[in-house]
Amino acid sequence: MHFDGGLKLAIAQRSSAGQKSVNEDSLGICVPKDEQLTTKGAVAVIADGVSAAEAGKEAAETCVTGFLSDYFSTPDSWSVKRSAQQVLNALNRWLYGQGQNYLQAEKGYVSTLSIAVFKSQTAHLFHVGDSRIYRLRDGCLELLTRDHAMPISRGKSYLTRAMGLDINLDVDYRAADVAVADIFLLSTDGIHDFLNSSRMQAIISDAGDDLDQACQRMIDDALAAGSDDNLSCQLLRIEALPLEDAGDVYRKLTALPFPPPLSAGMVVDGLVIEDEIHASPRSQLYKVYDATADRHYAMKTPSANFNDDPAYIERFILESWVGRRIQSEYVIEVIDPPQPPTCLYYLSAFEPGKTLGQWMTEHPQPSTQQMLDIILPAAKGLQAMHRRDTIHQDVKPDNILIGDNTQVKIIDFGSCYVAGLAEIAVPITRDRVLGTAQYSAPEHVLGRRPSTKADQFSLAAIVFEMLTAHKPYQGRLENCTTTAAFTRLEYIAASHYNPHVPLWLDAALCRALSISPELRYNDISEFVHDLQFPNPVYSKDNFQPLLSRNPLMVWQGISLILLICLIWSLGR
Amino acid sequence: MSSSTLNVLDLKQEKIRLLHLSWFAFFLSFVVWFNFAPMLSSIKEAFDLTNQQVKALMILNVALTIPARVVVGMLVDRFGPRIVYSALLVTGGMVCLAFAFANSYEAIALLRFLMGFIGAGFVIGIRLVGEWFPARQVGLAEGVYGGWGNFGSAAAAMALPTLALYFGGPDGWRYAIASTGVVASIYGVFFYWRARNTPKGSTYFKPKKSGGLVVSNKRDLIFYIIMCVPMYLALATLTWKLSPANLGLLNDAASIALYVVLVVLFVVQISQILRVNSDVLNNIPIPEMQQYKFKQVAILNVAYFVTFGSELAVVSMLPLFFMETFELSAVAAGMLASGFAFMNLVARPGGGYLSDKFGRRKSLSILICGLAVGYMVLSNIDSTWTIWVAVLATMCCSFFVQAGEGAVFAIVPLVKRSMTGQIAGMTGAYGNVGAVIFLTVLSFVSASNFFLVIAACAGVIFVAVQFMEEPQGHTAEVNDDGSVALIEVS
Repeated sequence: MHFDGGLKLAIAQRSSAGQKSVNEDSLGICVPKDEQLTTKGAVAVIADGVSAAEAGKEAAETCVTGFLSDYFSTPDSWSVKRSAQQVLNALNRWLYGQGQNYLQAEKGYVSTLSIAVFKSQTAHLFHVGDSRIYRLRDGCLELLTRDHAMPISRGKSYLTRAMGLDINLDVDYRAADVAVADIFLLSTDGIHDFLNSSRMQAIISDAGDDLDQACQRMIDDALAAGSDDNLSCQLLRIEALPLEDAGDVYRKLTALPFPPPLSAGMVVDGLVIEDEIHASPRSQLYKVYDATADRHYAMKTPSANFNDDPAYIERFILESWVGRRIQSEYVIEVIDPPQPPTCLYYLSAFEPGKTLGQWMTEHPQPSTQQMLDIILPAAKGLQAMHRRDTIHQDVKPDNILIGDNTQVKIIDFGSCYVAGLAEIAVPITRDRVLGTAQYSAPEHVLGRRPSTKADQFSLAAIVFEMLTAHKPYQGRLENCTTTAAFTRLEYIAASHYNPHVPLWLDAALCRALSISPELRYNDISEFVHDLQFPNPVYSKDNFQPLLSRNPLMVWQGISLILLICLIWSLGR
Repeated sequence: MSSSTLNVLDLKQEKIRLLHLSWFAFFLSFVVWFNFAPMLSSIKEAFDLTNQQVKALMILNVALTIPARVVVGMLVDRFGPRIVYSALLVTGGMVCLAFAFANSYEAIALLRFLMGFIGAGFVIGIRLVGEWFPARQVGLAEGVYGGWGNFGSAAAAMALPTLALYFGGPDGWRYAIASTGVVASIYGVFFYWRARNTPKGSTYFKPKKSGGLVVSNKRDLIFYIIMCVPMYLALATLTWKLSPANLGLLNDAASIALYVVLVVLFVVQISQILRVNSDVLNNIPIPEMQQYKFKQVAILNVAYFVTFGSELAVVSMLPLFFMETFELSAVAAGMLASGFAFMNLVARPGGGYLSDKFGRRKSLSILICGLAVGYMVLSNIDSTWTIWVAVLATMCCSFFVQAGEGAVFAIVPLVKRSMTGQIAGMTGAYGNVGAVIFLTVLSFVSASNFFLVIAACAGVIFVAVQFMEEPQGHTAEVNDDGSVALIEVS
């Protein structure tokens, strides 16, 4: 990958039981050697088992080993925050569950935990309890965390938050920027309660490049200062940051040349081009045949229009990266090429069939059941993507494929937003996806950060069009570019065009098509559920005053009464 | 299914329909833009104009196009090609109507100047066609668009004199010109009704902002700024031409005000250029992949200066020239002069084809050489020539001119893909600069010397073209046996 490598850390860590007989601290650092360094980052964890608890030591060890192994098992496409959150929640539940055997929760498996994840040019800090994370930059040691401890008497305090203390866990999260030569210090209270920050800073500065020596001196000095607790510290110095050199990224991006315009009969890496399926100003799609495997694939190649546009090339390369990480029978399968590719393209399974767009022209008035047969699998495909922290961002009829065997699949990852990748800063200006007019959610156009609710909006727009043969909002979505323009839009109910659309289904559509994402369903699954089963909330016929149900009749009635009054007054 | 050929008769395809819609829009814009050239003798008579005044009209007609291209480019960014093209045609048609029924030289001069705006239509269509055609067809599609559209000036030269005769009377020319305006306005509405900005359901990305070309080093930055000067010089020349020092169409205050406006515009443009090139100024190295040589752009600019510039100039003056040299009727002169623009139909796409086939620099050199010789021949035309030989000579010369235009635009996308739009815009502007300069020259010298000046320019530019480097694409190539070959890229 073009953004691989580059992050270099110098690390050191020490732990000592000090005056105590057992060391209840636990600590660990993991710097992956492979691609994971880019996608998941380097992790430093420090935990301090609470000594008042029976199993503080076990709790701290579980936190460190559990986090280090589980964090790297989360999907590559997840953001650091989501990955850590999931792992920490699971760890906390487990510790809490173990602690249930004790009468008081704080007597069980309780530990503090501080984690620093270094990914791209950011340090993601997760913290609970009274261990600490400091950053030393330009001779200034800054504390980046806040202790979750309540002092009860001189020198005595107790933890207000910790792992395993409660079934619900609140973890402090902070993203701090990172620069070359920054030193991060993670420590437990055995050290930082006995050494003030200027002392610690002096120790680190004096030791120079020898971080091991700095760790050792910190422990020695804290002991000399009378520390009666376990003492642990970790030091990480940033030696080099990834993707500093734009030229290097460009070289990696252009390592593979663009393929020339291909025509039937040509051979690329042992794949025979059979036919051109589609060509647009942005890309071409060919049907190719792999003789060794006797299989057909679809080959997507980049358009020569963009052969010096790094943002486009990056997006193209990431398309197959994303596709390979989503496994679902409702999402098109990306296939590893039979030979190492010699030019830029990627392969996906070849599915004979038609797009939903073509299907819709052939079936202008589908029944609700026909609609559901297509929308439900499509929604499952989208959910599979959302579970991977990936937003499709360009859901439209042409990106839903209906196979000849009626298998429905989501295609085209060209516009995807992947949380885990968005965190990796690159020195090129990335494109902003606007999606397809008529189907793309307002937040795309308005430049807000889209969520999975944007895909819900697009899917609902498709349902609306299938049922009514009209675009939602009278087709005016494509002309809107400002918040004011969007608020002026008037939603015309689906039943207005197609009287067969039941009221409850209409209400579900209306909600999923809300201009403001907050008003839509929380998850796409809730939306599709409401498409299938009448939601009792919506089936109640809301009481409306006569004035809004039939304003014409109201005014006609009033006029009639007035007329009668007039005639009566004249007749007197 | 698309291939590198284009079936223009396949009307079932949406993009082919759009191509026809857009080339015809461009065609009409050219008809309106050059509808006065075949009518010049009548206009001269009706307003009792001197030769100098007539020549000033010709220059005015092409002057506003230079800045208008920039304005139209920005409008397209903001509103999309569909509405801008219709608006341009409708308003252009209205101005044309006003021109047809104007009653003083000042009025027709002003209205001609305003009609220069419609000449900027080219930019819109190029953008529109680019949105609709895949990479391998877009060159050909734009060739069809440009070539067939440019033919509009020939159509005007052929049809308008006859039309004027059909309406008859001393005001026949007015009705003929007015009719083109009416047609353009009506078509503008039709275009809005039928054309669409993008193919149905195409994904949109936020367009990158553009303020000017991003160059690769400081030397190129200076070169770029120097290359911007001629555009303002051309407009300054025009102002001078109209000032009391020469024609006296403007008074002192107005001409000084115009000079000030030009200086201000120049400063604004320079500051914009410096803003987009802040990396170069601050010595931040540009990644190798993004580097290109600005001299390539400059050479294309001057090549277009002599090809398209001379075409616009010649198209404006040729009907009158034929009429006066051979003492022909307006109809016959228009017909014969249309031969020059007639070649557009084949020559422009042909130039692109030659360039693809025989090497960029070689074909451009040969074409420019050919047009230099061609203009040399034209400079010898006088009343002793047989008319048919003269017409043949103009057609031969125009083949080289228009094939040269095609060859230039075949190279434009290869200089720097991501900035094709800006490079094309600058090149196109140079074409108009050429027209203004050549027509100004014409206002001082005889037609024969005018042709000689163009030929001399072509000679200089021929030398410049020799410095052009053969552009190299970063794509894999196809072997003879059909397998895709790999080129090691360092």
